[in-house]
Amino acid sequence: MSESEYILELNGITKIFPGVKALNQVHFQLKRGEVHALMGENGAGKSTFIKVITGVHAAEEGHMYLEGKEVHFRGPKDALDAGIAAVYQHPTTYPTLSVTENIFMGHEIIKGGMIQWNEMNAKAQELLDRLHANFKPSDEIGALSVAQQQMTEIAKALSTNAKIIILDEPTASLTANESEELYRIVDQLRDEGVSIIFISHRFEDMYRLATRVTVFRDSQYIGTYDVDKITNADLVKAMVGREISDMYPKPEVKIGDEIFKIEGMSRTGFFKDVSLNVHAGEIVGMTGLVGAGRTEVMESVCGITKPDSGKVFLGGKQLKVKKPEDAMKEGIILLPENRSTQGLILSWGLGRNVTLPIQKKLAKGGIFNDSKKENELSKKFLEEVDTKAVTIFDPASSLSGGNQQKVVVAKALAQDNMKLVIMDEPTKGVDVGAKAEIYAIMGELAKKGYGIIMISSEMPEILGMCDRVYVMCNGRVTGCLNREEASQERILNLSMEHSSNERQEEAV
Amino acid sequence: MAGKSGRSINAEQKITAKKLLFTWEGALIVLFILVNIFNMNISQSYTFANVLREMPKYLAEMFMVLPMAYILVLGDIDISVGSIVCLTGTLTCYISNAGAPFPIVILGCLAAGLICGVINGSIATSFPELPSMITTLGTQIIFRGIAEISLGGGGSVAYNNTKQIMPLSTKLGKTVPVIILVVLVIAIIFTVVLQLTTFGRSLYAIGSNKTSAFYAGVDVQKCRFIAYVLMGLMASMCGLFLTAYTYGANTTTGQGFEMEVIAMCVFGGIASTGGKGTLIGGIIAGLIITLLRIALGQANVNSQMILVIVGALLIIAVLIPGIKGKIDEMKKLRAAA
Repeated sequence: MSESEYILELNGITKIFPGVKALNQVHFQLKRGEVHALMGENGAGKSTFIKVITGVHAAEEGHMYLEGKEVHFRGPKDALDAGIAAVYQHPTTYPTLSVTENIFMGHEIIKGGMIQWNEMNAKAQELLDRLHANFKPSDEIGALSVAQQQMTEIAKALSTNAKIIILDEPTASLTANESEELYRIVDQLRDEGVSIIFISHRFEDMYRLATRVTVFRDSQYIGTYDVDKITNADLVKAMVGREISDMYPKPEVKIGDEIFKIEGMSRTGFFKDVSLNVHAGEIVGMTGLVGAGRTEVMESVCGITKPDSGKVFLGGKQLKVKKPEDAMKEGIILLPENRSTQGLILSWGLGRNVTLPIQKKLAKGGIFNDSKKENELSKKFLEEVDTKAVTIFDPASSLSGGNQQKVVVAKALAQDNMKLVIMDEPTKGVDVGAKAEIYAIMGELAKKGYGIIMISSEMPEILGMCDRVYVMCNGRVTGCLNREEASQERILNLSMEHSSNERQEEAV
Repeated sequence: MAGKSGRSINAEQKITAKKLLFTWEGALIVLFILVNIFNMNISQSYTFANVLREMPKYLAEMFMVLPMAYILVLGDIDISVGSIVCLTGTLTCYISNAGAPFPIVILGCLAAGLICGVINGSIATSFPELPSMITTLGTQIIFRGIAEISLGGGGSVAYNNTKQIMPLSTKLGKTVPVIILVVLVIAIIFTVVLQLTTFGRSLYAIGSNKTSAFYAGVDVQKCRFIAYVLMGLMASMCGLFLTAYTYGANTTTGQGFEMEVIAMCVFGGIASTGGKGTLIGGIIAGLIITLLRIALGQANVNSQMILVIVGALLIIAVLIPGIKGKIDEMKKLRAAA
C-alpha cells in the first residue's frame, strides 16, 4: 500500500448495536486533499460510520489506517488529536457563549492557569477571516443563523489543525445562497489541502463538490464511484437498491375552482400584506430564503399564531381560526416542518400519533377513546403510506426520518374532512427513496382534488412538483410563477430582490 | 394507493400475564402483597378490622393524589396544595362557627378550593412559560399566609359544632367509614377519565410533547386549567375531611402534604417529567405507604422513621427503571453478539 495515496483508510469495519448490525464489513478510502461524498438512505449506517471514524463508537471488527499507520481511537479526543474533526447538521454549540468561546471549547489557550482571551480572540478573528465570515468573534452564537453557526464549527475544526473534516448533512438546514457559501468554503479548504468527507441527501451537493462518492445501503458497503462517471439513475439504484423511474410523479390534473384564499394578511415583525390562493387539485409551492416568513404565514392560517390583520377564505367562506383545532375542523391540515418536536410525539406508538387529532371524532360519545377503531384506522393509513414498521405500537422514535415523515402524512390523511394540506419542508432530512414516495402521495392527493401548499427550500422539488410557486422575501410575497415560467434563476432573483433593494436603500 | 410493497403492519396487541407483571403497576401489586405480609409480621394488631378503623386518618391525602397525577402527567407540578388544605380547613371552621347550616359549610369549603385552583390555573395558563414549581410556590406562601392571618394570634380554630360535621367521619353499617367510599368513588372517576377518555389522552399528549400536542389540535391551556382547578377542588375535599377528623385547623394543617402526595404519585410510576405512569399505580402506591404507616404506627415505630422508609422507597422507585434499562441493553447486546 502506497503511503501517500490515502490519508484515511478503513477496512472491514463492523459495528454491532443491541439487536442490529449497524455496519457490516464496510470499506472506505479517502485520498489526500479529496472531497469524498458518503451517500445512502437514512439508516444505511452513514452516521454510525462517521462516529467510528471520530472515535465516538468503537468498531467490533476491522482496521483503520491514518496516513498508513493503524490507529485505535478510544474516544473523540483521540480522533481530534489525530486531526479528524466533524461538523454536524445541527451544530452542537453553546448558544449563550461567544464565537471565540465556542471555537476554543475544550482546547482553550491557557498560560499559567489563565485563559488568554486576547490571543484567543485574535486567533478566532484569523480563522473567521480565512473563511470570509461576516460575523465577529465576540458575537453570541445563539444570535447567529444556522449557516453562521456551522461556519463557527468549521472554524473550530480548523482551530484544532484538522487534516480531515467530516461534514454531516451540512446543507440540510441551509438556503440556496447559504449552501453556495458553504460550497465556496469547502472548495477553499480542499485547495488548502484539507481532506473532506461529507454526508448529504442532496445530489446537488455531491455534483458540486465531490470527486468520488461512496454508497452504503442496509449497513453494507455498496461501492465507490467517480462522480463524473456515474449517472444519476445508477447512483439512485445503488442507494435504494431498485430503480426509481420518476422522481417527481407530477400528475396531469385538471385544476378546479379556487378553494383557498388569503387576503392581505399581516403579522408585525414576521410578514406583511400576504395574499395568495390555491385551486382544487393544485400543488402550490412557497419558497424563498429561510426566515422569509413562509412558515409563519401558514402558522397564522392554522391558528398557531395570531395574525394582526387579514382574511382567510376556504371554499368561499371566511374562516375564524383561533386555535389549531379550529383550522382542523375546517379541513386545513398542517404537516409541520419539524417532525420530532412539532409533528410527532416520539415516545408514543405510531397508531396513537396518527389518531391524536381525530380522537374526539372516533371516541364513543365523544368522550371515551375507542382503541379498536383507532387501531384499525391507523393501521389502514400507515399501510397506505407504506410505513416501514412492524406494529402500530412501535414508538415513533424507532423509525428513520423518512418513515417518521410518512407517519406525519398518515396523520393528515386520517383527517377525513381534509380540504387543504399544507406541507412544510416535507422531505427535509428524508432519503431519496422515501422522498419519491412522499412526492407520489402528494400527486395522489392532487388527483383526488385536494389543494396542496408545499413550503420548500429545495429547488428541484419546487420545480418538479408545483403548478405554481409563490416566492417570499423578507415577509412579503415578491412573485408568483407558473410552472412554465418557473426557473431556478427567476426564483432566486425573486427571493433576494427585496433584500438587495433594501440594502441599496440603506447604503443610500 | 395501498402499500406498494404490500407490507402489513400489525395492529394486534398481545397482552400476556408476564407482560402485565413486568409493568410498574404489576410490580406494585406484588409489593403491596409483600408489604401486607411484612406488616402482619411486625404488628399483631394489623388486622383487616383495625386497618379499616385507622385508615381514614391517612386517607384524606388520597383525594389529592388523584388530581396531582393529572398535573404530573401534564409535566407540571403544584406545590401549593398543602396550603389550600390549611386555608379551606380553616374556612370550614369559621363558616360553621358563624352558624351556617352544614350544606353551606361544605359548599363554602369546596368553593374556596375551587377558587384557589382557578387562581393557580389562571397563572399557569396566562404565563405558560413560567415554571409551575415557582408560581405554585408563590401561591403556596400566599394561601398559607391568608390562612395564618385569619387564624390570628392563637394560630388555631376549633370546629365548635362537632355534631354537625360528624356525618363525614361516621361509618356506614358501623364498619365502613364514609371517607373510604367517597375516596373510592372519586378515585374510580379520576382513573377512568385519565386512562379511558380523550381528555386523559390529551393530558398524556401534552406531557409527552406540548408542541406536537398543540399542533395536533389539543387545547393545551384549557387542559392545564382544568387540571389545576380539579387540584384545588380535591385539596378542599382533603381539608374538609381532615377537619371532620380533627375538629379544627391550625397553622400547621396540611403542612408538607404536597410533597407526600407527589411522593406517592412518583412512587406509583408517574414521572414528574410528564407523559408517563397511570393513576392505578399512583393509587396502589398511596395505599402501600398508608398501610406501612398504619403498621409502623401500631408497632410503635417512631413517626420520623416512617418518613425515612418512605423516602427510601421513593428513591428505589426512581432508580429501578434505570437499572432495568441497563439490564435490557446488556441482554440485547448479548443476543446480537
